[in-house]
Amino acid sequence: MKTRKKIKVGTILLYIIMFILSLIWIYPYVWLFLASVKPSEEIFTRFLPTQLTLEHYRFIFETATRMERPFVRALLNSIFIAFTITFSVVFTSAFIGYGLSKLRYRGRNAVFNFIIFQMLFPGFMFVVPLFVLIRTLGLLNTYSAVILPSLISAWGVFMFAQAYKAIPQDYIEAAKMDGASTFWIILRVMLPLTRSTASIVGLFTFIGAWDNFMWPLIVMKDYYKMPLAVLLASFNHEYGSYVGPLMAGAVIQTIPMVFIFLAFRKYFLQGISMSLK
Amino acid sequence: MREALLGWQFSGVYLVYAAIFWGYPFVWLLILAFSRWRFFGKPKPIGFDNFVRLFQDPIFWRIFWNTMNFMAYFIPMVVLGAFLFALALSKVKYFRTFFTLSFLVANVSSGVAYSILFSNLFSETGPVNSFLYKTFGVTIPWFSDPQLALLSIAIIVTWKFIGYYGLILFAGMQAIPKSLYEAAELDGASKWTQFWRITVPLVNPALTTVLVFAINLTFGIFTEPYMITGGGPMRRTLTFLLHIYTTAFQRMNPSYAATLAIVTGALSYGCVILVRKLVEREVHLT
Repeated sequence: MKTRKKIKVGTILLYIIMFILSLIWIYPYVWLFLASVKPSEEIFTRFLPTQLTLEHYRFIFETATRMERPFVRALLNSIFIAFTITFSVVFTSAFIGYGLSKLRYRGRNAVFNFIIFQMLFPGFMFVVPLFVLIRTLGLLNTYSAVILPSLISAWGVFMFAQAYKAIPQDYIEAAKMDGASTFWIILRVMLPLTRSTASIVGLFTFIGAWDNFMWPLIVMKDYYKMPLAVLLASFNHEYGSYVGPLMAGAVIQTIPMVFIFLAFRKYFLQGISMSLK
Repeated sequence: MREALLGWQFSGVYLVYAAIFWGYPFVWLLILAFSRWRFFGKPKPIGFDNFVRLFQDPIFWRIFWNTMNFMAYFIPMVVLGAFLFALALSKVKYFRTFFTLSFLVANVSSGVAYSILFSNLFSETGPVNSFLYKTFGVTIPWFSDPQLALLSIAIIVTWKFIGYYGLILFAGMQAIPKSLYEAAELDGASKWTQFWRITVPLVNPALTTVLVFAINLTFGIFTEPYMITGGGPMRRTLTFLLHIYTTAFQRMNPSYAATLAIVTGALSYGCVILVRKLVEREVHLT
């Protein structure tokens, strides 16, 4: 009787601690959101606003545009860049991964080993020479400068190649009997069977592209083509005292990532446990 | 035969792309590291001069110690926190999704946005300091004190990654067969013994993964110091990537930056190898 009571107290304490910690972990988000909707003078003085206001959002979307800081444009740029990269990575990985796991030919293993070798090198090593390449191609200050280097991902190809290995060859043979072409097999048989891999690759690629900061900062000096992260950083640099509008900008930058995370959280968790294998 | 042709078409697309966006930069990286070049004209070969200069550069050693210092703060904090989080998560039955999501949502915060958020949250008049002032009568110069600034950045990065690393460890703990604990229970082993003899050794692969991730993260840190401190005060938050960026694109010295990039890559690789040697153990689950 006595030990059972002890365990119960311990369990309740654990729940209380976990709740408090969870609230502390969410607190910065709550503060950020509230700061973006309260009057400027209350941002540092009150937690809950006395009145709600959209003036900071109006500032970031209207006034800032007149200050040559076009945030609406930047948001659209970010959406365009992140979606293009994500679609390209998922489809190219699905096709190339098929070539590396389901087709037999000489040299296949060499290509596969080369991909693994590539993944050993951290991306930051290539920043300077990649800039030289983009400059030589005359692509500085274009969307291509941000998009082209991320169109195909070694990691994505690797993920799909691994996932396809678990699919029995019979499925492919059966589809071939029915006269299906390779493209049809990949799009209609393989991709649906590896939906969770596709989601993981898509999710992590999207978050990476949306959040990418250093590379677009280097190649994009044109305010009208900047992704949101870079424009927000430059606005923070020049107008750091406009706390309210900055918070509104930070909310806009964060919301797509949080929503996509919440929608695909199942795959996010799968992706995490996969990193163990 | 048709299969081989098709296979080479797929691989060919990849190889051509990799040759342009990986191979070509790779060659340039090596050329630059062994030459002097300032974006114009032909690179002038100078042998190992860049490397010699680098190892005599006090700024390089400043960054090296900053990085070691950061790891000394960040890795114990995040690993211990993640471990406790994973343990707590495996103990609770209800609200597990809520706890997981509250810690994990921090991980999907955008680098720029959360840097802006925390530099205001921890600013001199920010809510954290006004809370401290009201309750303890002190304020803390989180980002303006040379020693504290690095710790503050380590704290906010920990906020971001504890849930992510915690879930990797949690997945590792879930993979341990329950029968092991039941057998230990029958043999009369206490919870404490079970923890040290079963949980800790068998969670080793997950722990190694977390450590490798944390090291790679440390060497690749850029956005937080760029946004919050700009590398200051007194260069105490200057990181390798920040220095590569300013050297190449503000001081217009790409060849020296390329050298720095190679040395940084080698250092992070060396650290990973070292940790694997020290921590990784073969785990046999039968």
